[in-house]
Amino acid sequence: MTLHRLFPLRLRQTIAQVRLLHGSGCGHQLEEVAMEPELRKETSVFRTQVNDPACQSERHLGQYYTLPTSHLHTIFPHGLPARYQQQVKTFNEGCVMVRQPALELISYLKAADYSKPAVRYLLYGLKGSGKTMSLCHTIHYCSTQGWLVLHIPDAHLWVKNCKELLPSSYHTSRFDQPIEASNWLRNFRTTNERFLSKIKLRQRYTWTKRESTEKGSPLGELVDMGVSRVKSSSDVVGAVLKELRLQAAETEESEGFRLAVAIDGVNSLWGRTTIKKEDKSPVAPEELTLIHNLRKMIDNNWCGGAVIATLSQTGSLYSPSSAYLPKELLGEEGFDSMDPFIPVPVSNYSEKEFESCYLYYLDRHWLQHPHSESHSPQTCILVWSFLIPYFN
Amino acid sequence: MAAHTLNIYMLSLGRMHCHIYGRNVHKALNRATYATALSTNNSSPNKGFPDRGSRGPIIRRPRREEGEPRKDRMPVDQDWTAVYPTAAPFRPGSVPLPVRMGFPVKRGVPPEKKGNLELIKIPNFLHLTPTAIKKHCEAMKLFCTEWPSALDTNVKCDEHFPIKIECKDYVSAGTSIRNPSARIVNLRVSICPNYDYAMYLLTVLYHESWKTEAWESEKTVADMEEYSWEDSPSQKNALSTLVRMQIAGEVEGDAVRDKLLGRPEVQEYRESVIRLMNEGESESSILQYREAVKKLLKL
Repeated sequence: MTLHRLFPLRLRQTIAQVRLLHGSGCGHQLEEVAMEPELRKETSVFRTQVNDPACQSERHLGQYYTLPTSHLHTIFPHGLPARYQQQVKTFNEGCVMVRQPALELISYLKAADYSKPAVRYLLYGLKGSGKTMSLCHTIHYCSTQGWLVLHIPDAHLWVKNCKELLPSSYHTSRFDQPIEASNWLRNFRTTNERFLSKIKLRQRYTWTKRESTEKGSPLGELVDMGVSRVKSSSDVVGAVLKELRLQAAETEESEGFRLAVAIDGVNSLWGRTTIKKEDKSPVAPEELTLIHNLRKMIDNNWCGGAVIATLSQTGSLYSPSSAYLPKELLGEEGFDSMDPFIPVPVSNYSEKEFESCYLYYLDRHWLQHPHSESHSPQTCILVWSFLIPYFN
Repeated sequence: MAAHTLNIYMLSLGRMHCHIYGRNVHKALNRATYATALSTNNSSPNKGFPDRGSRGPIIRRPRREEGEPRKDRMPVDQDWTAVYPTAAPFRPGSVPLPVRMGFPVKRGVPPEKKGNLELIKIPNFLHLTPTAIKKHCEAMKLFCTEWPSALDTNVKCDEHFPIKIECKDYVSAGTSIRNPSARIVNLRVSICPNYDYAMYLLTVLYHESWKTEAWESEKTVADMEEYSWEDSPSQKNALSTLVRMQIAGEVEGDAVRDKLLGRPEVQEYRESVIRLMNEGESESSILQYREAVKKLLKL
């Protein structure tokens, strides 16, 4: 949105008029940054042709790589941040910057031993620093490597604004969320088409007196049932998660697969909800079937995959807006559940990354200023957006 | 009732005539209608109350006349404690002072005390005049003992009672009668000249603190001042992770547990978790935790 304000021609005059959108928490001061001309090299490269995350390395830091369009629709039906989706629509391409946190995560994933219990990774950082985009980059890597990706795009959406809350048929004290569960199953089906026929169920699931899914039937049948029978979709989600957890441990030869559990906003699993029961008492997160089953996935009692999570304060309930460190947002219970995990810090843009971003927008003709070739608009943008990726 | 209907008829007739004859006649007719309207006779006994028709008049008990207010009958040397023996709201008739309170509307004066809600709302100390307090003291003397005659100077008091507790009371105007600063109570101890007494007190306290009361065994994790890693969820998680990471076939037992706990990476992990919990989070403590976990998980 700040970019719209950059459109007026007189950039210098608009400095006084621009106000910060998110004033809290950053604590930076407005100061003139003098950029040396040496940085503005003609040879600064902002794009790379290496589109496979597995082949990217430190050489490609700060450069944009393109997400193939087919991958965009299959891997990310619901995962990308809203603003980024708008950008993809505007530019007709999805370009992701190769940054240090994602590269670090991918290196851990490459080096990990998958016969050992699943390792938990937690991306944390200030608001707008690029946690969700780093997560998406990692998911792209997992997908291209043939992993099964279980992506929950925003766990906060499951603990608030629930239009329909049904008491669970499986467990009397829990509550189902049919709409959220069926939406997620639909997107899961889009992402993991190729696994749906390969994975066979290990046990029989009975839904009602007449309906059941037999042992040995493909996973796709279960997912289709969950999408069509909305009432039992939360239990279907639980069954899917359980099957995947049990079967991920197998080796490659016996048709095993690697499982990546990617959760954005994992701190909502141990926080509070704004959902109320009929007698107006609040519902605890563990009383929701979806959250209960997701918590089981985060435990490291299964092998053959990894849990990659991000913390998110935006969208979280009852947490202060300046909180961003793991223990603050996870709380005691969350920290004890995730422990031991590997925290991966995500920071704001470095100067080089900012330069890259600026050149990319110039290339896409997003920034149109007659003085674009000179340095002063760049200084202004630097000053305004404080190197925060969200504002770029 | 009959007069009523006649009025309506006359009014409507007047209006019809207006239409035919024009404006001048309208005025005359209006006057005519008003004249008839005023002549109704209300025969209810209660003046100012609406006509209740066939239900009958409202009968109220005749109001007795007000007597002279007390303040007019007060002698100068009266016993004020009889007027206000306890805390009571302000009664304008009982307080012989020409008090005014409130906002002076239209550059006037503050309203008088009669019927003044502002004076009734605020707390008053009319029951605590010096005479009243003297009476309280006289009554309390029955329960008090004499001040020890030996403690006649401040120096002697300090010598025998070195610990002093100061409580402060505040009087201020505001929305609340409570003042948060009044909650602070100061305890003063002067060490010298009676150093020996101070040491005696400290020795007693020291020995007392070693005695364990029965209820101290009910201390929970939430009561602990410092985080201890032993028996914490973090230790359990770390141990279970390590056990799962071991080659299958190794039997879990106390010996294995102690061996695992003795490993350097586990100790490093323990240090980092303790630092995180006790010192709070910061970038450096999180990075230290990260390095420790990486070593633990052999990444």
